[in-house]
Amino acid sequence: MKQNMRKWINDILCSDTRRAFPLMMYTGLELTQVSINYMLQSGKLQAECITALAERYPSAASITAMDLSVEAEAFGSEVRCMGNETPTITGSIVKDAESAASLSIPAISSGRIGEFLEAAALAAAMITDRPVFGCHIGPFSLAGRLCGMTEALMNVHAEPEMLHVVLQKSTEFLRGYARAFKESGAGGIVIAEPAAGLISPAHCDEFSSRYIKTIIDTVQDDEFMVILHNCGSVSRHVGTMASTGAMGMHFGNAVDMEQVLKAVPLGLLAFGNIDPVGVLKNGTEEEIRRATTSLLLKTSGHANFVLSSGCDVPPGTPLRNINAFFRALDEYNSAEL
Amino acid sequence: MEILKEIAAHVENGRNNEVRVLVGKCMEEGIGVSDILNLGLVAGMNSIGIRFRNNEVFVPEVLMAARAMKSGLEMIKPILLKEKVPSKGTIIIGTVLGDLHDIGKNIVCYMLQGAGFDVIDIGIDVPKEKFIEAARNHGAQIIALSSLLSTTMSYMKEVMEAVRASEIAGTVKVIVGGAPVTQAFADEIGAHGYASDASGAAEIVKGLIG
Repeated sequence: MKQNMRKWINDILCSDTRRAFPLMMYTGLELTQVSINYMLQSGKLQAECITALAERYPSAASITAMDLSVEAEAFGSEVRCMGNETPTITGSIVKDAESAASLSIPAISSGRIGEFLEAAALAAAMITDRPVFGCHIGPFSLAGRLCGMTEALMNVHAEPEMLHVVLQKSTEFLRGYARAFKESGAGGIVIAEPAAGLISPAHCDEFSSRYIKTIIDTVQDDEFMVILHNCGSVSRHVGTMASTGAMGMHFGNAVDMEQVLKAVPLGLLAFGNIDPVGVLKNGTEEEIRRATTSLLLKTSGHANFVLSSGCDVPPGTPLRNINAFFRALDEYNSAEL
Repeated sequence: MEILKEIAAHVENGRNNEVRVLVGKCMEEGIGVSDILNLGLVAGMNSIGIRFRNNEVFVPEVLMAARAMKSGLEMIKPILLKEKVPSKGTIIIGTVLGDLHDIGKNIVCYMLQGAGFDVIDIGIDVPKEKFIEAARNHGAQIIALSSLLSTTMSYMKEVMEAVRASEIAGTVKVIVGGAPVTQAFADEIGAHGYASDASGAAEIVKGLIG
């Protein structure tokens, strides 16, 4: 169901209580008892997983799976699935300027893209009390999967023209994907651009932010919000991230959230950043309570802060740990009131 | 020597063509390969490593410097081997079985090479037997395990157990690293060292071998 995302943001900014939106989807597999590989092949199974989580947890929003292989797979990259893990791209399909020039922009119906759009559409229809966000990769991170990450990183110096060719094609595809998420009924998208955290702020500006801005300019409005996620060490990248025009920025546990919040422009939501592996997946309930409470206390002066995981909550994270996360939020909100 | 300082500067700036030209010139002039290696190539890589640790440069700059260092190293390697110039130690490195993410492992490789170690990169998705076999064949002192995924890092424990049960136990030490890996995890599986970043890995190895 379409929601006014401007109102959603304002409600958070004006709320007396702190809200949470963990990037959590795979945890729902414990509720639906489906394997990760089956779920990632089926929009219906994915929607059931999203809905099961929404019924159980008072998250401020829901989100489709963060599977950052889907887009490169649509371009023709080979995907490898292993056990209880999200799929990974193997090899590279862009090896030189010639293959960059001949790279075709795939149709939005390619590969498993349609399943993710179906998941967003079904979840948005079933979940009416909060927005559902789609999730897709950012252009620089996609270029890294198409060219090979080491090569893409080196090409910011060695072959910038070739990299721009790949980025233009990646962005054109992602603009279409973002538009399709919007048409599906989603309230927004989370653009995951972790690779841009490995390059300097100036390079991030040139090879990531300006491309992301074109995606955001295409889709963002009062009914569709873009959150830009970067879980790298991006304390110095906040300016270039903000220049994209995203209404929200999502940070990982590589940054000091308290420090980063000082740099986030007023009016933009800032999400973060409980360690998804060390704390949420592998921590004890007490460790999760301590980390969550500590973060909430440190960020209490910032109305635009939304409690979240530092990145995607990984597959295999026990429900009891997510319970502990939300319990800590409840305790904090009760104490505040 | 000025030319060695120039090599170091070109390595630091990732200028591999210039590095090759100057290394060639050094060889023509009869400058010892040990000096070319340590005062030129390794010195340049050390400088970029310090700047990386201080957040003055980012991953692409380290990768470009590493490429420049390697291009010079390739030129002098035959002579290094012929003259049997001793290395500071040999390290086997790879990402563990199931893990295909190599960027972190590559950066650690370059930092270790830059610190003067012989690094044998056995790639991604490596089973425990291959780590042990490589360590045995190369007479390594260190096995370095990398993992980006929370699911694959558990395989590090299996590698540790296999090393302990093998004939290289006692002679080879194991260090671990990667985004989800923590000191607590390293302690839990009995690893000999853990580093939270690439620069730290070189320091840990120096401590273990030194």
